[in-house]
Amino acid sequence: MGNEPAHTVTRYDQELDRLRGLVARMGGLVERQTARAIAAVVDQDEEAALEPPELDVEVDALEREAESLAIRILALRAPMAVDLRVIIAVLKITGDFERIGDYASSIARRALKVEPLDGALSFGALRNMARLVQENLHSAIEAMVNNDSECAMQVWGSDTAIDELYTAMFRELVTYMMEDPRKIGPCIHLLFVAKNLERIGDHATNIAERVYYAVTGEMLPALRPRGGAAKKSG
Amino acid sequence: MNENTMQAMPSADVAAEASASAVSGRPIAIQVNNLDFYYGKTHALHNITLGFPERSVTGMIGPSGCGKSTLLRVLNRMYDLYPGQRATGEVLFSGQNILGSGLDLNALRSRVGMVFQKPTPFPMSIYDNIAFGIRLHERVSRSEMDGRVEDALRRVALWPEVKDRLQASATALSGGQQQRLCIARTIAVRPEVILLDEPTSALDPVSTARIEELLDELKTEFTIAIVTHNMQQAARCADQVAFFYLGELVEVDSTARMFTAPRESRTQDYITGRFG
Repeated sequence: MGNEPAHTVTRYDQELDRLRGLVARMGGLVERQTARAIAAVVDQDEEAALEPPELDVEVDALEREAESLAIRILALRAPMAVDLRVIIAVLKITGDFERIGDYASSIARRALKVEPLDGALSFGALRNMARLVQENLHSAIEAMVNNDSECAMQVWGSDTAIDELYTAMFRELVTYMMEDPRKIGPCIHLLFVAKNLERIGDHATNIAERVYYAVTGEMLPALRPRGGAAKKSG
Repeated sequence: MNENTMQAMPSADVAAEASASAVSGRPIAIQVNNLDFYYGKTHALHNITLGFPERSVTGMIGPSGCGKSTLLRVLNRMYDLYPGQRATGEVLFSGQNILGSGLDLNALRSRVGMVFQKPTPFPMSIYDNIAFGIRLHERVSRSEMDGRVEDALRRVALWPEVKDRLQASATALSGGQQQRLCIARTIAVRPEVILLDEPTSALDPVSTARIEELLDELKTEFTIAIVTHNMQQAARCADQVAFFYLGELVEVDSTARMFTAPRESRTQDYITGRFG
């Protein structure tokens, strides 16, 4: 995407560069939101919990700006081939980022409600899952910025581990809840946190798919590799 | 969680559509094989191999001087009108190599009609513009001729505009009307193939849209090859698109594939406006 020769019309290149810049900034912000939301939960950090919803305002504004620029380019430049693919990818990726921002904010809002009861709830599984989600999100954004289809392909194939961890957490939490009904409240909040993380992972996968298409012109297959256990959790 | 799987697939169907040839399965009306063309010593076309599928539109694009118009002129041996121009290789049309000698060029040109960039109405009445071509090739009665003229004018949607002034001079028509008249003149002799060389470059957008609409209808009956500088026009009208550069055929594929994910970087650079 970035390796092509320049357009004959310089303004066209400037507009595309600006568009890429906007999405890259969105990517940086949602990575930050996700990191702070996770810290808010696992470190029970009140300050960190405030940040994701605050950043969300900026993420939403960037989404609107990128969208209107993309529409403008579509209307005025009639982009073709790689340019068209990049713009379509950008339109979809900004949507993914916006959702990730919402999930991160949602995690942050629940963060202080999942306080472990009697130490029974450990954040070990959540930490593992969070690490994988952050890695995938980071790689997806790197793939986007560097037009790296191989990196995108790797992200696309590595969501299974996240799904499996989510399934394991689901079972663990259900067991806690059955053992002690007083834990249902915090456990439910933790379950939602895990679910939101799992959804962030899915959006990272979507981003990887869009990057792969923008770079290569080929679509990844409809079904990506999945863990068998993940399907049962519903 | 199955919904996540669903989320991963929205664009896959589009990919399948884009990679399938828009005209696959159609018999080939004209097959060009290993064609080389020379203007005197200038080697204008290099080893071109390209099939024109029956009853579909083939768009030919490329920068000026790339050879796309030259190829069009080979398809009805228009180049024969000029000395020093020659073609080697073969162009198969109905099983016959039309580059061979002893070919009846008038018969060929009645089967392979051509429409040019600038409308070229003859300085005669609207009626005679159509009748002239028919008379060249066939002997028809007055009433049949009336029918053929009306039919041709109706097919290009010009009839309602000219039916009350068929004897008026064709040169008084607007540019768009003149071009539709020329297309009517071409189809009146019932060709199998219609070649169009930049047919709308001198027309306003509304006239252009009418010609494009017309192409959509004509392709149900004729094989169409169109040379255009307007990439959007190729995208709108063609079923397959061939990209030429410096006398070579760089790439040919379904229109959807060419404009979303061309395989050759030269194609991509050209259609995205990156040519130096």
